[in-house]
Amino acid sequence: MGGPVLSATLPSGTVVELAGVCKTYRQRQRSERLGDIWRNLLHPEVREVQALRDVSLTIGRGEVVAYAGPNGAGKSTTVKILSSALAPDAGKVRVLGMDPIRDRVRYVGRIGVVFGQRTELWWDHPVAASFEWKRVVWDVARPRYERMLGLVKELLGLNEYWHTLSRELSLGQRMRADLGLALLHEPEILFLDEPTIGLDVLAKRNMLRFIQEVNRERQVTVMLTSHDMAELEQLAGRIVLIDRGHIAFDGPFDRLRRELGDRRHLLIETPNGSPPRARGRALGAQRGRPPRVHL
Amino acid sequence: MEAERAPGMLRRLVRLWRLYATLDLIWLARDARQALLWSLSDMVTSAAGVAATLLIAERFAGIGPWSRPQVMFLMGYALTVEGILVMFFSNNILHISRRVGRGQLDHILTQPQPIWAAFLTEGFCPFTGSAVLAAGLALLGWATVRLGLAVSPSWAAAAALNLAASTAVALSFSFLWASLAFWAPRAAEEISSSAVDIIVQLKRFPLDGLGPLLRLGLLTCLPAGLTAWLPCRYLLGQARGVWAAAVTPLAGLLFVALAAWAFRKGLEHYGRTGSQRYSSFGHRR
Repeated sequence: MGGPVLSATLPSGTVVELAGVCKTYRQRQRSERLGDIWRNLLHPEVREVQALRDVSLTIGRGEVVAYAGPNGAGKSTTVKILSSALAPDAGKVRVLGMDPIRDRVRYVGRIGVVFGQRTELWWDHPVAASFEWKRVVWDVARPRYERMLGLVKELLGLNEYWHTLSRELSLGQRMRADLGLALLHEPEILFLDEPTIGLDVLAKRNMLRFIQEVNRERQVTVMLTSHDMAELEQLAGRIVLIDRGHIAFDGPFDRLRRELGDRRHLLIETPNGSPPRARGRALGAQRGRPPRVHL
Repeated sequence: MEAERAPGMLRRLVRLWRLYATLDLIWLARDARQALLWSLSDMVTSAAGVAATLLIAERFAGIGPWSRPQVMFLMGYALTVEGILVMFFSNNILHISRRVGRGQLDHILTQPQPIWAAFLTEGFCPFTGSAVLAAGLALLGWATVRLGLAVSPSWAAAAALNLAASTAVALSFSFLWASLAFWAPRAAEEISSSAVDIIVQLKRFPLDGLGPLLRLGLLTCLPAGLTAWLPCRYLLGQARGVWAAAVTPLAGLLFVALAAWAFRKGLEHYGRTGSQRYSSFGHRR
C-alpha cells in the first residue's frame, strides 16, 4: 500500500502532478563474438536503463515550465507519459484531474502535444486539409474552430503556405503548422518536446514568441523540453533539470544561476588514481572517486 | 467520449468516413494525369491478379468440380473481399505491422477517440481504392447471371454477411501477425504484408482437390479457404444446411476475437515499453 501518494484533490491551480514516477527500459545486449551466439539467442544479457527515477513534480495552471537535460536524461519519456503514449512502471500521474492512460480519450482532447521530430500533418495534402482533419477528429465546434484558425493563421503566418502540400514545407514552416494544429482545439496544456529542433535563429525566435503569446493571452500551461538553455530562459520562469532520470533542480532560472552559474567542475584523472598535487598538497580527492576541483 | 453512446459513435464514424473520402478524392484529383494513370494501373493490376486462375479454368474447362462460371464466381468473390480491404483499410491499417513496427501508434494514441474507431475509418479510400472492388463486383454479378442463380433477398443477405465475414478473417489474420511487431518492431515490420499476400494468393483457387489435412490447415492456421472457397461453396449451393451457412460468419467472429485479444496484449506491452524506433515513412501519406 506504500508508494507515492497523490493529493486527494489537485491543489488549487495545479494541473500536472507526478508523484514518484519511475520508468525503466530493458535493452538486450548482444555480443559480436561468434562464440556467444547461443548465449545471444537463449540467455541474452539484459541491461536496465532507468529513464525516470522517482520523479515528482507539480505544475500550476498558466505556468511555463522548461524541462531540460542532456540526451537520454528522461525528457521525452516524461512527455510520452504525460501524453498518454507510455505508462509509468511505478508512481502516480494525474493531469487535469485525470489519469492519462485510463482516461486517455477524454484526456487527450484537453491537451496539445508537439514532438519536434514528428509531424501530425497529412504529408500529401495541403496544410489546410490537416486542419480540417483535426477539426473533425477532435470534434471541434465550428465557431471555436473558426476563431482558433484565424488566430493561429495570423500569429504563425500560415496564410503564405496554407494551400501548399505539407511535404513541400521547410522545417520551420512545418513546425509552425504543427504548433498551430496542436492549438486548434484550445488545449489547456501544451507539451512541446524539442519544438525548435533544427530551426534557424529567426524561426526559433518566432516560435518562442508565439508560445509566449499563447501562454499570456490564453493562460495555456506549457511544458517545453529543449537542450538550449538560452532559449528556455527566454520563455520559462521555472526550469526543471533532469539528469539520468533524477530531477536535479526545480526552481527559477535566477536560483539556478546563483547555485550553479558561478561554479565549474574540473575533473582530473591521474594515471595511477592518486590525487594530483598542487603546491605540495593533494587536491580535493575522495576515496574511490576522481578528485574534483572547484574553480 | 469513451462512454459515447452508439448513435453518437455511429454519427462520429460517418463523419470520419466522409472526411477520409474527401481527403482521398482531393488526393486523387490533385493532378488529372496522375489520376488517370492511377485508375488505369489499378485496373491492369486487378486484371493481372485474376488472370492465372481464369486461364487455368479456361484451359481445363474449369478447376476440379468447379465449372468455368463457378470459378468466375469464386474469383469475383475473392476480388470483392480484396476490394473491401483496399477500400476500407488502406493507409497502413491493413498492413498495421508497419505502423506498430515504425513506432507510429503514438499518433493514434494522442487522438481523442477509441483506437478501434481510428482503425475503422482512417483507411477509407473510396476513390483510389475502388478499382478492385468494382472489378470484383462486376465479375461476381456476371458469374451470377451466367450461373442463373436465383438472387433472393435472403441469398443477397447471406452473400453480404459472408463477404463481411471473409473480410474480417483476412483483416484479423493481418492484425494477429502484426501483434508480433509489438515485441519485434524491426523484424516484424512487414509481417502484415506477408500475411495478407499469402491469403490473397491462395484464396483464388478452389481447395477441393487437396487432402483433408491440408484443407483443414487452409481453413484454420492459414485461413485462405475462409476468404473465398468455403463461403462460395455455400452461396453456389454446393454445401447446404445451417452449418454451411454459419461457418464463415462464426469463423469471422472467432478470428476477430483472437486478433483483438492478441493486439490488446501487444498494446499493453507497447504502453509499458513504448517504441524505441520511430520512422515518419508511410505515415499519413
